[in-house]
Amino acid sequence: MKKSILDYTLKVRVPLIIFVILITFLTTYFVSRQERDGVGNQPVQPIKYSHKLHAGEMGIDCQYCHVGATKGRQALVPSVNICMNCHTVTRKDQPEIIKLREYYESGKVLPWKRVHKVPEYAYFNHSVHVNTGIDCETCHGNVREMEEIIQVKSFTMSACLDCHKQPEKFIPYLENVKEGPRHCAACHR
Amino acid sequence: MSEENKKYWKSLDSFNDPNFAKETIKHEFQEGVTDEFNISNMSGVSRRKFIGLLTASTAIAATACSDYHDQKEIVPYTNRPEGVLPGKPNYYASTCNGCAEACGILIKTREGRPIKVDGNDEHPINKGKICATGQSSIYNLYDPSRLQNPLKGNTKTTWADVDSQIIKKLDYESSKGKKIVVLTNSINSPTERKMLDEFKQRFTSAEIHTFDLFNNCHRKYGWFKSYGNADVPSIKWDEANIILSLEGDFLGKEGNFIENTRLFSSKRDFTNVDNFNRLYVVEAGLSLTGSNSDYRMRLKPEAQYDFVMALLNEVIKKGASNIVIDSRVKNKLSKFSLDSVSSSNGLDSIKINYLVEDLIKNKGKSIIYAGDSLSGDVHIAVNLLNEILGNSDLYNYETAYVNTGKQLHFPQIEELIKSYNNNDVGVVIHYDVNPSYHLPESLKYDEALGNVGFVVSLLDSVNESTKHDYFTLPINHAFESWGDAHSRKNVYSLRQPVIAPLFNSRQKEAILLTWILGSPKVYNESLYHDYLMESCRENIYSKKKVSSDFISFWNAALHDGYINIDDNKASRKPFNISSINISDAPKEHTGFSVLLAKDYFIGDGRFANNGWLQEIPHPISKVAWDNYAAIAPSSAGEMNLQNGDMIKVTVGDNSVEIPIMLQPGVAKNTVVIELGYGRTVIGDAGKEVGHNANDLLNVKSKNSRWICSNATVEPTGNKYEIFSTQEHHSLEDDFVKDIHHKRGIIREASLDEYSKDPAFAREQDVELFSITEEHAQEGEKWAMSIDMNKCTSCAVCVASCNVENNIPVVGKDQVAVGREMHWMRIDRYYSGSSDDPIVSNQPMLCQHCDNAPCENVCPVNATNHSPDGLNQMVYNRCVGTRYCANNCSYKVRRFNFYNFRDHFVNAYYLNEVSPLVHNPEVTVRSRGVMEKCSFCVQKISEEREDAIREGRQINGDNVSPACQQACPADAIVFGDANNPESKISQYRKHELGYGVLQNLNVKPNVTYVAKLRNTHSEDV
Repeated sequence: MKKSILDYTLKVRVPLIIFVILITFLTTYFVSRQERDGVGNQPVQPIKYSHKLHAGEMGIDCQYCHVGATKGRQALVPSVNICMNCHTVTRKDQPEIIKLREYYESGKVLPWKRVHKVPEYAYFNHSVHVNTGIDCETCHGNVREMEEIIQVKSFTMSACLDCHKQPEKFIPYLENVKEGPRHCAACHR
Repeated sequence: MSEENKKYWKSLDSFNDPNFAKETIKHEFQEGVTDEFNISNMSGVSRRKFIGLLTASTAIAATACSDYHDQKEIVPYTNRPEGVLPGKPNYYASTCNGCAEACGILIKTREGRPIKVDGNDEHPINKGKICATGQSSIYNLYDPSRLQNPLKGNTKTTWADVDSQIIKKLDYESSKGKKIVVLTNSINSPTERKMLDEFKQRFTSAEIHTFDLFNNCHRKYGWFKSYGNADVPSIKWDEANIILSLEGDFLGKEGNFIENTRLFSSKRDFTNVDNFNRLYVVEAGLSLTGSNSDYRMRLKPEAQYDFVMALLNEVIKKGASNIVIDSRVKNKLSKFSLDSVSSSNGLDSIKINYLVEDLIKNKGKSIIYAGDSLSGDVHIAVNLLNEILGNSDLYNYETAYVNTGKQLHFPQIEELIKSYNNNDVGVVIHYDVNPSYHLPESLKYDEALGNVGFVVSLLDSVNESTKHDYFTLPINHAFESWGDAHSRKNVYSLRQPVIAPLFNSRQKEAILLTWILGSPKVYNESLYHDYLMESCRENIYSKKKVSSDFISFWNAALHDGYINIDDNKASRKPFNISSINISDAPKEHTGFSVLLAKDYFIGDGRFANNGWLQEIPHPISKVAWDNYAAIAPSSAGEMNLQNGDMIKVTVGDNSVEIPIMLQPGVAKNTVVIELGYGRTVIGDAGKEVGHNANDLLNVKSKNSRWICSNATVEPTGNKYEIFSTQEHHSLEDDFVKDIHHKRGIIREASLDEYSKDPAFAREQDVELFSITEEHAQEGEKWAMSIDMNKCTSCAVCVASCNVENNIPVVGKDQVAVGREMHWMRIDRYYSGSSDDPIVSNQPMLCQHCDNAPCENVCPVNATNHSPDGLNQMVYNRCVGTRYCANNCSYKVRRFNFYNFRDHFVNAYYLNEVSPLVHNPEVTVRSRGVMEKCSFCVQKISEEREDAIREGRQINGDNVSPACQQACPADAIVFGDANNPESKISQYRKHELGYGVLQNLNVKPNVTYVAKLRNTHSEDV
């Protein structure tokens, strides 16, 4: 009696359990991959700002607001005074602009929700990429079409390395593009 | 019935039946007690299962409900200040406040917080370099033990309350004619001095007293006696062929030693070997200067006087005098015969002969330098000696040291203490000083202070002197303050704040200014700023005759950090021969002598709470976190003493107990003790570190307070552990003796030997073939070279590396087990005899080997080679096996045995403010990972970024790692070895360039330039 239970457990139950776990894990792993990498991340922002309107319809250059993109590591979320360059005059009566002006006038910080994030231990540098001629879209997607900003590509090390290895595939618009550095110290220090 | 036979019983049953108790203990539980616990009868869910389910469901619920996409917030400036771009550093020129030298500094700030200090390249005195203390002083800004609020006794109070009470008190006391004593360190700021003068005018009974534990009084006195003014010129070290330093550590801690090192090392250029200088040092302790000397002689500090007199006599006798010496002086001098003085003091006659010969041969091109601790008489004699030899041409009057005024001497201090006791003093203001700690206990300063009813201290943190404080007032760090400095002729430096005060503190000048102006209401943040501007307009701008208006002049000056001014120059005056004081005959010096010296890094104790500075090993003994009595091994042997034995040093009535350290090279029967340790009232990092030896200060002596004669030394029988980062290897054991020469770690020769055999440094090299593939080296290949001729082992590189690369402080207990985290260390090797060793120093850091042994053994490939020649370390991959450190031939890898920020003194540096010091470009490493020098890869990345932005090739010359940037001797060269025109590739090719442990075929990328000693060939 005892022996047959053990027999049954080893031959049927254990393999079954392992099989079910494996299938569940693999399915979840691959199905949730994009999701886990942050693709589709679209938090609610404190001010309903539309990239579609500003960058798309009005065609304002990305770097008018993201002043750091060619200068340093961070592209920088614009400081409120940059918004106020126009909005001291334009659309003063809109509720979102009134909110913006309140932030500006009170000096209270404007807590934008972060959408794209590279881990702290990776020292990504915007200027190196932008100054090489890489478009913002390559990583951030077509922001000009986004009513609210959303992450469309994954920001993982493998995503970085894919492009560093095969730039011609990901940035075909650049002529004579060289491979990006692939050694550790290029990003990690 | 006796006590022992007393019988105890529990119940009547057991009393009546002796076996009853025996029966009951057989059954631990009563019958039936466990009957109910039949598992099968109980609920299917056991308690354990229930808790398990509860935990799991809570965990799942928490995970499901949390937004794992949430990346927190980005908070931009509301109104971004012009010129501040987050992620890009800003640099501000300012003036260092670490000591009285007032070096020009450049403060690097990120997002408004200072993270690094370097020298201001354009500053005419220090030219882009500062000392280790200056580098590390940034930690004092973020020191958690800084005073955060004004205190009344021990309770928090407001500034308005403080100001009104003090103003009332000051007015009252001065109207009653009671003294108001302001005690200060020497002040190099003209505006501050002017403000203090106004303080004296406002409060007529005020007295300003200056006291420094270490100063150059004797030098100034000697100069004043010899030449009639106290503006001591600086020395053109770069023009001296022969340098004789008497007890003078001009490369380590005297004068502006950063400037001295630069000028001295410029005459140690291996590409110009005909122009080498030769350094003779005669000293008691083995100083940094002594370790760099070509010839070193040991002499007790008191005997220096006889030695200089004998040298004078000898030079005059040889007819080498440039000036006329009258016969009376000659006669008196003739009693000092060089032969007898040297033989009675055990000086090597061959070296003495070389010295005299060299001095006479190089008349006008040599310099004799006496240390700050020697008496005024020695200084006068040295001035005469320089005058006789025509060396006064090497005095630089252009940048003479500006006299900062009179210092208090011990007799005056005794007077002062008497007046405290006699109730003559109404108010004592400690203006950023710590007299209770600095003054010997025998003076009873602290007791006398208790008799003064009203003591006010202006301090950055509580210290030994605040015990009797009525008010203790927090002052700004130099990086939060305005100020100016005039420490050298023709140069006026400005200090500007680079961060708003972190705490409720005020700058000390503004506090006094508020009292002068007589109302708490006048204070505002720009009070001293306006005062300073006004003073600059009056005293500098008006005399400059520039066409621009004052505001643009001022802004330009702030930008530059200094202004060239036209001082009334100290000019060359004739030597006053009557100043020389010649005693009757050479004296015998028996018994122990004590020499008290300043610590190399923590100064007079002011920086004792700075963990970075405490942890930099002493340049010679390599001891960290301690001071000790350095004593010659032979003298210690006579008393059967060993390292760490406690001794009692007694001078007159005062005695100090302190551990000893056998220091090769110390003069016989001499004890050298560094002061600044043993602080008791200070932050947790510096509390009770080392031993306080200030009690030994020679209060009675007219000559020098730092030198005591006739001391007695006796063992107490106790032991104390001092830890050195480098063991003394035995100089007698044949196996380890001169191992650094045998293994080719240190390769050096005299100039003569080099001219005969130019390839000597490469002779030990062997040709080896690799069994592994060579790395392809295209593009850049980063490499470093360290010129051992220039390097003085001052450890500024170590300090700079600490700050740049977020090196944690580990504490004495961890240093004891060899866990210090410095990426760069300076190895010290002795050769020769244990009493008179030759010292060789060698900065050692990761060599970024082409065939790195660490890379092969890492099981997770956390350390590997980059195509540009770097040996990379990836913290995230590291699992902490430490195989790499084990396999490293140079032992430069450092393992985080703890999260040291958490571990050091109960997380002393883990608070709100201290982490602000971290460089955001470098990872802060945590427990369990290996780390090591990265060749400042963040700076290489910065250059790559700049090159791409500017559309050019990477230029290796634009990259300078923190150590190179800080090296005052310019001994470190860094760059792209694949560029044949770069300096580094020329150094690598040079015949003097060698790799340490080259025979292992690891192919190190740090090239050392072999040291050339300027000695006579026959005696090497």
